[in-house]
Amino acid sequence: MKKYLFIFKSEIMTNLQYVFNIFVGFIGYFVMLFILFNLWEYLYSDPNELINGYSMTSMMWYVVITEILYSVVGGRTLCKKISNDVKSGNVAYNINKPYSYIGYSVSSHFGNMFIKFIMYVILGLGFGLIFIKKLPNLSLVGIIFVLVSSFLGLLISTLLILSIGLFSFYIEDSGPFYWVYSKLILVMGTLFPIEYFPTIVQKILVYTPVYVVNYGPAKLFVDFDIHKGIGIILAQIIYVIIAYLICNHIYRKGVRRINVNGG
Amino acid sequence: MAVIEVKNLSKSFKVKLKEKGLKGSLKSIIKPKYKTIKAVRNVSFSVEKGEIIAFIGPNGAGKSTTIKMMTSILYPDKGSIKVMGLDPSRDRKALSYEIGTVFGQKEQLWTHLTPYDNFKFFGAIYDIPEKAIEKKIDELRELFELDSFINTPVRNLSLGQRIRCEIVASLIHEPKVLFLDEPTIGLDPVVKENIRTLIKRMNKEYKTTIFLTSHDVGDIEKLCKRVIIINNGTVVMDDTMENLKYHYLNKKIVEAKMKEMVNLEDEEGITILKDKGYNLKIEVDTTKKSVSDALKLLNPDNIIDINISNVPLEDIISDIYKNRD
Repeated sequence: MKKYLFIFKSEIMTNLQYVFNIFVGFIGYFVMLFILFNLWEYLYSDPNELINGYSMTSMMWYVVITEILYSVVGGRTLCKKISNDVKSGNVAYNINKPYSYIGYSVSSHFGNMFIKFIMYVILGLGFGLIFIKKLPNLSLVGIIFVLVSSFLGLLISTLLILSIGLFSFYIEDSGPFYWVYSKLILVMGTLFPIEYFPTIVQKILVYTPVYVVNYGPAKLFVDFDIHKGIGIILAQIIYVIIAYLICNHIYRKGVRRINVNGG
Repeated sequence: MAVIEVKNLSKSFKVKLKEKGLKGSLKSIIKPKYKTIKAVRNVSFSVEKGEIIAFIGPNGAGKSTTIKMMTSILYPDKGSIKVMGLDPSRDRKALSYEIGTVFGQKEQLWTHLTPYDNFKFFGAIYDIPEKAIEKKIDELRELFELDSFINTPVRNLSLGQRIRCEIVASLIHEPKVLFLDEPTIGLDPVVKENIRTLIKRMNKEYKTTIFLTSHDVGDIEKLCKRVIIINNGTVVMDDTMENLKYHYLNKKIVEAKMKEMVNLEDEEGITILKDKGYNLKIEVDTTKKSVSDALKLLNPDNIIDINISNVPLEDIISDIYKNRD
């Protein structure tokens, strides 16, 4: 475990040199929030009205949180990096080191997300406080649940995106797969909570990554209750195991196909 | 005891074939065609503890594929490999603690961190206790003379400094076998010499077995006592450097400054390389004519100055490559 912490730490040290880049990323985040805030203000004629169980302020806080998680993961860059690693044969040079490639990639990506996460949380909450003003009622237990669930959500995203990236062992470019995945996650669960979809679709969505990746932590933030909290975290733990097994399977099968010519 | 034992090793690659043009591209989607390339064929050899061995061959000969199979990066199709008694394709993790690798064309250091942070990182991934890492870094820092740049980010180092750090990073966990794949590629002659001295010193100090591939004859000549030549996926020669140099081609180069001109044309076993009147450069094939016979033809009384040398290793090696093609 110590080695993975060291990989995590080394990635943070590297990322500290690029703090300015993270600030640039905020521009997109703020524009997105600004559009969504206006949309919800327009849709809610009366701020006290409830649509699908969400008040206007809780809907706004919901997107503040889901957008933080969506932006922090930086899925496109991760998928591209893994895909390039596989295609260029770079992945081979990690094989003869005493760590697991998946463990390495996950800890390295968490190092990547760490500073981004802290900065997005501070600025996202600040932005929310300025425009929405009132924070949802959240106890200390609630905050802990939201943090744990955010961590697990990010872990599931990372493992799923890694699996998609590792698909490059079998196909030329895994980019289109990531595009489909990211758009599904963006529309379902990030921009709109599960409750906004027809009942039959909702029943399916609770079994998909949509429920555990961004929806779970954001739902707990805006409307915390301990039973829901335990349910979401349990579902996330099951998903971490499933996502890890998928990722590991793709890697193990794929690594035997490595073709490193020349060099 | 043999540190590396390779027996009847073979490896093939399947390469997708594509006909030219757009039509070819479309065809390859509908009905892809593949070609099998036999990269390594029935290769066997063994390496003893503490040896510095040169594993050489032209581009595409199968050197890197063999190294990658020995370092558990690629899986062999046939044959067996034992490195420190371990099978690279099965005991990958255990083997990683026993071996170190430096690929001259691939960076393994974190470019935004300093060499010192990199060494700490490598120490941690090999589960070395904090104090032991510090001690090892101090020791290697001295041996590889890293003091002036150990705290400069790797991206700001010169290529020579970076290669030195790459080698140190691969030595942190005290590997018993070190695989160096073209470690001096792209370096200037002074830095090359410096790296060679350091490799030699390391071999002497830690008794590390070194398995080296290089296209630089200087590396091979100055570092290795034994050389394995591979071409078209098979071992074409496995011999000591001495034998390679003195017996393989049985040729000597004689350069002489003469008082009078001599005509050596049509002499069996003698090839004239340069003839500038009083200055002569000939190659003597000692299987056909002894050096003393050649000197008699020149007439010793007629010689002002003479130099007898071996055929340059570079020529010998390229001759072996060509003849075995």
